[in-house]
Amino acid sequence: MSNCSCENPLVPQIVEVIKIVEETPDVKTFYVQKDNGVPFDVMPGQLAMVSLLPTGEGMFSVSWQEDDHLQFAIKRVGVMTDELHTIDVGQRLGVRGPYGNGFPVEKCKGRDMLFIGGGIGLAPLRSFIKYCFKHREDYGKITIIYGSRSYDDLCFKEELFEKWPQEKDTQVYVTIDNAEEKWDGHVGYVPAYLEELNPDPQNTIAVTCGPPIMIKFVLQALEKMRFSDEQVITTLEMRMKCGIGKCGRCNIGSEYICLDGPVFDLAQLRKLPPEW
Amino acid sequence: MKFFKKGQIEKIVERLAEKADVFVPMLRGQQSGFFSWKSYDENYDDIIFDLLNVYSPPKNIILPQTEKMYSFDQQGQETIIKPEEIPVEPKVIFGIRSCDVKAIEYMDEVFLTRTFVDEYYKARRDQVAIVANACYNPGTNCFCKSMGVDHLNPEAADVILREVENGYVWESKTDKGDILTKQVEDLLEDQEVELYQPNRFVRKVNYDGVAEKLKDLFDHPMWERYSDPCQTCGICTYMCPTCYCFDVQVKNWGDEGYRFRCWDSCMYREYTLMAGGHNPREAAKERFRNRFLHKLQFFNERYGTPLCTGCGRCIVTCPAGVDIIRMIELIKEAEPSV
Ligand SMILES: Cc1cc2nc3c(=O)[nH]c(=O)nc-3n(C[C@H](O)[C@H](O)[C@H](O)COP(=O)(O)OP(=O)(O)OC[C@H]3O[C@@H](n4cnc5c(N)ncnc54)[C@H](O)[C@@H]3O)c2cc1C
Ligand code: SF4
Ligand code: SF4
Ligand code: FES
Repeated sequence: MSNCSCENPLVPQIVEVIKIVEETPDVKTFYVQKDNGVPFDVMPGQLAMVSLLPTGEGMFSVSWQEDDHLQFAIKRVGVMTDELHTIDVGQRLGVRGPYGNGFPVEKCKGRDMLFIGGGIGLAPLRSFIKYCFKHREDYGKITIIYGSRSYDDLCFKEELFEKWPQEKDTQVYVTIDNAEEKWDGHVGYVPAYLEELNPDPQNTIAVTCGPPIMIKFVLQALEKMRFSDEQVITTLEMRMKCGIGKCGRCNIGSEYICLDGPVFDLAQLRKLPPEW
Repeated sequence: MKFFKKGQIEKIVERLAEKADVFVPMLRGQQSGFFSWKSYDENYDDIIFDLLNVYSPPKNIILPQTEKMYSFDQQGQETIIKPEEIPVEPKVIFGIRSCDVKAIEYMDEVFLTRTFVDEYYKARRDQVAIVANACYNPGTNCFCKSMGVDHLNPEAADVILREVENGYVWESKTDKGDILTKQVEDLLEDQEVELYQPNRFVRKVNYDGVAEKLKDLFDHPMWERYSDPCQTCGICTYMCPTCYCFDVQVKNWGDEGYRFRCWDSCMYREYTLMAGGHNPREAAKERFRNRFLHKLQFFNERYGTPLCTGCGRCIVTCPAGVDIIRMIELIKEAEPSV
């Protein structure tokens, strides 16, 4: 479904960076705004192409939308993202979108929600988590399991440790890979923590995002706990250029991840060739 | 029937060229392709209506090899973006063959349907009229009929020319075609002529069931084996009238510049390379497989036809002798490995 507001979907709109939050040593959240509003409306899990000219363009999940701005949590991994990490508030960027299907927020209504994230994978999940809080009556129990390599690498710390645990009927479980002096919480990988917590699949939808290796073991763990394929949702990542299903490169089988994805349930994924 | 004598063809082109940029099949040096009539020089160029599909397909007329998208100016924190004016001059592709017309139909599906309309493509496509030349004498590597192309009746053509004894029949198919007919009316004669019986195809292949069968061949050892000679040079994709993939890049001088798109190829490693070095189609085998699966299975699943019009160009140009007809046969013979 296209809710693209622009005439030419390949030409970016200009936005201004109004706030930058340093989440971790290599992740920053950028708040962007156009004429005191948003360049376009997004649903949780949808994507936008962010341009820093002349350096480059990259696809990012919109990590949250408020009435007057969009948020992108961006990890420094290469040419464009390195440069993005050097900009200051006031910088103009290009954005185009929104792209992709987004999370099935309607279909999940009335269900208990289990979010399982690793590293920067919390960026897309966060849009769904915050959406559930905003429409709290529509969703049942909310469980969030999140992990990173180290304490410093945990994104959105304020929300994780202060805000989200305060929400009604919500449990937040955080883990880091290796023990550290300043950390007295759980230590270990996300999939292992998930097995330890052993959530009940009854009336639950599990949504997971993270590095491919984490996703792989999380999917195995969920299967062991008897989550059905329809109860498990994840997002895929492929290299993207156009975002509108034309340039060709983001295909897995006959699906274009930019258009038909990035969100798929496990039943859909199993029908795709194993190229993800 | 409207008819014109062979000797009139240049006059017809010239007349159409008064109102449009007319692209005509020419031999220019070693290259054959569709070139603008404006650039025709009788000292260097030969017009070649009889040659079947020319070496370079005419896809660049609608999807240029490189195309500016917008220019920008980045001053300190300010950014200005100026969308590119897309040229709207009318164009005629004159003498295009059925396989290449079909390829334009496929591109129309890709660029004009499925949620988003590609405005660059649309602006150019809207201005193009197609004067096709029906094929009564298929070439040695032509197998369009096997791929579901009607070589005598190209659907998206505005006008169909049919070669007959001493001349051509002119058959308008659309409103755009009627406008062209008006322009050349005085050069056409009303005459009943006998159409040729089409010659048989030398090359044939049976595509039935291939898309379905490929679903079970993703992990088959055939891909390792048959991709072995492939150099991943990508010439097969550049020369293919249906291959439409593009890359988006920036050209800048300091803070000013423009973003453009250009043809890309799924045969290249960079095509799917992601930050940190992860690449879902790292090896030649995976890219080779994706090319054939896209053409023979994935496109079919999405758009209901294979993405191959049987023009034979990739067979002729591949330095490694990869032959899509042979690949289809090998797919039909393969035993799914369970
Ligand atoms: C659906 C989707 C959602 C994403 N969401 C986020 C997010 O919320 N936060 C975040 O930090 N990152 C996200 N990414 C990854 C992000 O797009 C890349 O990290 C970023 O494009 C890297 O750009 P670069 O120029 O710094 O890297 P370089 O390695 O210098 O990039 C070179 C080229 O490769 C492309 N590229 C590199 N990595 C990727 C990748 N993983 N996916 C697609 N294209 C890539 C770049 O666009 C660029 O054209 C997402 C990717 C996809 C496909
Ligand atoms: S032309 Fe032949 S060698 Fe080159 S990429 Fe295509 S199949 Fe491979
Ligand atoms: S795949 Fe080969 S034969 Fe088929 S349309 Fe493309 S170039 Fe022609
Ligand atoms: S990014 Fe171009 S088709 Fe998906």
